Amino acid sequence: MTKVSLPQARALARARAAKSFNEGFQQVLPTMVATSLWGFVTGIAMVKAGMSELMASLMTLLVYAGSAQLTALPLITAGAPLWLIFAAASVVNIRFVIFGAAVQPFFSRYRWPARLGLGYWLSDMGFVLFMSKFADAKKRGTPHQMWFYLGLIIPGWISWQVASLAGIFMGGVVPQGWELEFAATLALMGITIPLVKNMPMAVSILVAGSLAWLCQPLPLRLGLAVAVVGGIVSGVAAEKYQLKGGHRV
Amino acid sequence: MFEPGSDGYMLAVIGLLTVCSAIMRAGYFVVGNRIPLTENVRRALRYAPPAALVAIIVPELLPWAEGGRAFFDVRLLAALVAVLVYVRTRSTIAVILSGMGAFWLLRAIL
Repeated sequence: MTKVSLPQARALARARAAKSFNEGFQQVLPTMVATSLWGFVTGIAMVKAGMSELMASLMTLLVYAGSAQLTALPLITAGAPLWLIFAAASVVNIRFVIFGAAVQPFFSRYRWPARLGLGYWLSDMGFVLFMSKFADAKKRGTPHQMWFYLGLIIPGWISWQVASLAGIFMGGVVPQGWELEFAATLALMGITIPLVKNMPMAVSILVAGSLAWLCQPLPLRLGLAVAVVGGIVSGVAAEKYQLKGGHRV
Repeated sequence: MFEPGSDGYMLAVIGLLTVCSAIMRAGYFVVGNRIPLTENVRRALRYAPPAALVAIIVPELLPWAEGGRAFFDVRLLAALVAVLVYVRTRSTIAVILSGMGAFWLLRAIL
């Protein structure tokens, strides 16, 4: 058995950490087109709603939740009571409770201040990419998973903020007729389609999509939460059906 | 101090939304060790990411009009073009470029 000295072991651990971080970064890189477009559009929307550039910048840097911000904007313009704005944002953010529950076991061995930070910087894209890779992992809480996660959320945060600030300060340059929002939607489609790899997943997104369409008249983007729950339930049901010897695709 | 339109109101909104982000996202991270989920629930949560993405996309493609009536617009056609392009190319960038191209073209024609 060869003996490894302490500095050597540290150097090895650092090299491994860098490799895992880079692996995460490579995963998040192609999705940055989508998130940057959303960030840019969100930045423009804040200024258009009448927020000063300083307040809009503060909001994007601290709140870091595009859909919650977009939901809050019309309420802010209307001068809605603070509790109502908080409640609306909470409803929009409900999906993160589900995301957090799924990702938390991977980080349960860290101390609570670290967990607070890891949770706060969780994003939709970070969640999607992390779970796509590790949902079926036998071991949870490895340094590899931690550094991979950081490789997702740190570059993701930076690109979102840069794009959002660009939207706040330079959004006026883009002609409105371009409808960049649609490019952001298309970019999200490019991320979603490859996730559909089997029959239960296809059933799940069909149900989620139908519910999201039907539930549009619901206030506070509640349809989003309904669709996520419906997608989970139908996915599990389809999986059970498949296991029972149903038609295998 | 917190009158709508004032800086105080705006700062209060930003502060509250920051707290909201932290509670919703990090809540389970912080206290979750004490309320562990069963393996079945955890497996079920794998279906959450695509469902959430689809739920963001669908209302953008097939929005309901103000009066609560569903309506159809060129975005859906452009999105179909983009999906076909994806099936052929497997490229996300091609999805965005073809979808935007189709959208601008259809809007100009129709």
